[in-house]
Amino acid sequence: MSAGQHHALCGYSPNHQLNESPAYEIASLKLLKMKFLVYKAGIKPLIGIAMISAVVVLAQCKKDPPPAPLVCDLTDIPYSPTPYTIKKPDHFPQVPVPADNPMTAEGVELGRRLFYDPILSGDSTMSCSSCHLPQGSFTDNKAVSTGIDGIAGRRSSMSLLDIAYVTTRLFWDGRVKNLEEQALKPVEDPIELHTTWPEVVQKLKNHPDYPGYFRKAFGINSCEEITKELAAKAIAQFERILISSGMSKYDRFVKGEIDLEDEELRGKLMYFDEGAQFQLPDAQCFHCHGSVTLTGNNFFNNGLDSVGSFNDFVDKGLGEFTGNPSDNGKFRAPTLRNIAMSAPYMHDGRFQTLEEVMAQYNDNGTGFVNEDPFVQQIGFPVQGHYPGLTPSQTADIIAFLHTLTDTAFVNNPDVQNPFQ
Amino acid sequence: MILRNGKNDCENFHAENQYLFNIRTSNINKSNVSKFNIHKHTSMKNFAFFLLLFAAASFSSCKDNDDTDIKDNFSLTFRATYDGELLEKYKNYPYGDKVILFDKFNTYLSDIALVNGATEVKLSDIEWVNFTPDLAPNDKTVEVTYKYTVPDGNYTGIKLGYGVSPDLNAKSPADFPTDHPLYVESEYWSGWKSYIFTKVQGEVDLNGDGVTETNLFYHCGSDPVYNVATTNGNIAVAGTGSLVVEFDLKKLFTFNGQLLDLTVTTNQTTSHDASNIALGQMVMENFKNATVLK
Repeated sequence: MSAGQHHALCGYSPNHQLNESPAYEIASLKLLKMKFLVYKAGIKPLIGIAMISAVVVLAQCKKDPPPAPLVCDLTDIPYSPTPYTIKKPDHFPQVPVPADNPMTAEGVELGRRLFYDPILSGDSTMSCSSCHLPQGSFTDNKAVSTGIDGIAGRRSSMSLLDIAYVTTRLFWDGRVKNLEEQALKPVEDPIELHTTWPEVVQKLKNHPDYPGYFRKAFGINSCEEITKELAAKAIAQFERILISSGMSKYDRFVKGEIDLEDEELRGKLMYFDEGAQFQLPDAQCFHCHGSVTLTGNNFFNNGLDSVGSFNDFVDKGLGEFTGNPSDNGKFRAPTLRNIAMSAPYMHDGRFQTLEEVMAQYNDNGTGFVNEDPFVQQIGFPVQGHYPGLTPSQTADIIAFLHTLTDTAFVNNPDVQNPFQ
Repeated sequence: MILRNGKNDCENFHAENQYLFNIRTSNINKSNVSKFNIHKHTSMKNFAFFLLLFAAASFSSCKDNDDTDIKDNFSLTFRATYDGELLEKYKNYPYGDKVILFDKFNTYLSDIALVNGATEVKLSDIEWVNFTPDLAPNDKTVEVTYKYTVPDGNYTGIKLGYGVSPDLNAKSPADFPTDHPLYVESEYWSGWKSYIFTKVQGEVDLNGDGVTETNLFYHCGSDPVYNVATTNGNIAVAGTGSLVVEFDLKKLFTFNGQLLDLTVTTNQTTSHDASNIALGQMVMENFKNATVLK
C-alpha cells in the first residue's frame, strides 16, 4: 500500500507527514517486532508484509484524529467543456482570447450567472450588472455609480460593449491589465460590492448550484477548489461575448445593406475626416475613437479641465496608476458604439447629453501640454484659430452617433440576466 | 550557441554527465561491492547498455541544442533620439532658436532585411515600433528590441521599408491575428483604407516665451508615402549579433541642412490630409536620413 493510498483510506490531508506522526513511531516498533516474529516463525514473506501493513494502518487510524469527510466531491458531475466561438460581425477583427482562459460554453454560462448574481456583494444586494445593465449598453446611466453602502464612487461605469477588444489595460485609468484582473476589483472595493473574496468564495462553495457550474466549467473535483481566480475567469469569459451585433445602422451601411440619411452621412464624413471634397471640416473624432470598434484603446487628455500644471488635475486618471505626472488627466477613450444609450458622458459623467459633449469639443480644448492636439483643431480654421463645428455640423455628428445604436446587442438573449 | 565557463552547452552537458557517471560508478564500487561481484556479469552488460543509451542521448541532445541556439541569435534594437540624445517625452529641446518637445512617436517598418551585397536576409515582414507606449514607467522613450534568426556573415547594411508595404497596407486589422503588428486598431484609418505609418506628435514654442504652445503632428500614411532605403554599416554575425537602429527626430526635421520652418502653418501638421500629402511624403522620405546605425 502506498502512502497515498493510506491517506485516502484514513481520510487524511494529502499534506499530512507520516514520518512525523507519533503513531508512525509506534507502528515502526511494531513493524520491527513483527519482522522478528515472521523470521522466527518462518512464515512466507508476503503474508508477513500484509500483516505488517495491516498493523501500520490500524495503528495510524487509531491514533490520529478522526478523518475529515471528503467535502463536496464533484467528480460524479461530467466534465466535458464545449469550446465556445465568440460571435462577431464579419467586418470586426478577431476577438483576443488569452491562452490561459479559453472560451467554453460552460465558462460563459457560469460567468453570466456570476455577473448577474448579487452573491458577489457584501449584503447580497448588488452584482456586476447593477452598474452594467444591458439596456444602458452595460452602463448604469448614472454620472457615477453607487455601491452597496450608498456611497457614490467618483467615476462613471464604463460600457462593456466590445470590451474584449480592449487589450491596453482596463478601467478609466488603466489600472488593470485584463478582464480577469478587472473582475476581481469591484468585489473588494469598499464603495462598490464591499465584501472580501474569501467570503464570496465561501458562499459559492456552500451554494447548492455553483460548485456544479464550476465543475462543468473548469473541471474542479471538489468545492474546495473554487477560487476567486476561477470566478474571475468565468466572468471574463462572459464579458468577452459582449460583442456588437453588426446590426447597427452604421454597420449595415458599412456592409452596403442600407444608405445613411444625408445628415448622418455628413456626420460620418466629418467623424472620419473624409469630407474634404465635400467642403466638410475634420471633427477629429476618429483619432481617439477610430477603426471598427470605435476606440483606439488608448489614453488621452481630451481637454476637459483647464489646469496650470500636471498636479492640478483633480482626478489624475492614468497618472494615478503610472505615477507619471505627464499622464495626469488622461483617461481611456471608450467605444462610441451605443453612445446614445450610455449617457451620461466622460469619466465623471459630467455631461448629460451628446449636445453637451459636442459643445465641450467645439471649445477646442484648453491647450495644456499633454492635451491631445486633435481636440484643439476641430472645424475649419479661421485665421489660425479653430472655432469648432457649426451648429448644423454638430447636429450632423450627433445624427451619425445615433447610427451607432445597436439594439440587437442589448437585446441579445445570450447576454441577459439568467435569473429573470 | 550559448557559452558557459568557456564551453558551449554541449561540452558542459558532456562534462556534467561524465561527473554524474563518475559518482555513480564510485558509489557502486564503494557500497555495493559484494552485490556487484555476485551479479558482475549481468551488471556489466546492463552497464554497457546504459552507457550506449547515455551516449546516444548525449549526441541527440547536442544536435537539438545546436538547432535551438541558432534561433533568435540576432538582436535588433530600435531607439528614438533627438540630436543623438535618448528622446524623452515632454522635454524641451532646442530647435534652432526655438524650443520643441515631443509626446508621441511610433512607426511601422516593413520588409526589414540585412543586406550583404546583392544578398538579403529577411528579418521581418512588418513591425510596429512604439517608442511612447501609454504605460511606460516614465517619460523616457522605450527601446524596442526584436530577436531574429540570422546566418553568420558580415553584412553591409540594413534595409527598411518606412511604413507599411502596399501589399500589407491593402489589408485592415480584421485580416490579422490578434498578436500581429497590423492588428493594432488605433493605427488604422478606416476612412482612408490605410495604416498610419508614422505618428510624431509634439509642440513648438513659436512666440519665444520658452513655453511650447503650437501643436505639431505628423500622422503619415497611404501608399504614396511608403519608401524603402538601405542604411550602410558593418554588421557582423558570428554565432550571435546585434544592431541598434536609432531614429533621430532632429535629423527627421532637417532638410538639406535646414530645420523645417515650423512657423509655416502647413509645416506644422499632416494627418492623412490629401491636400497636404506632400509634407507626409517629405517626412517619410527623410526617415532614411534620420536613421543611424550603432
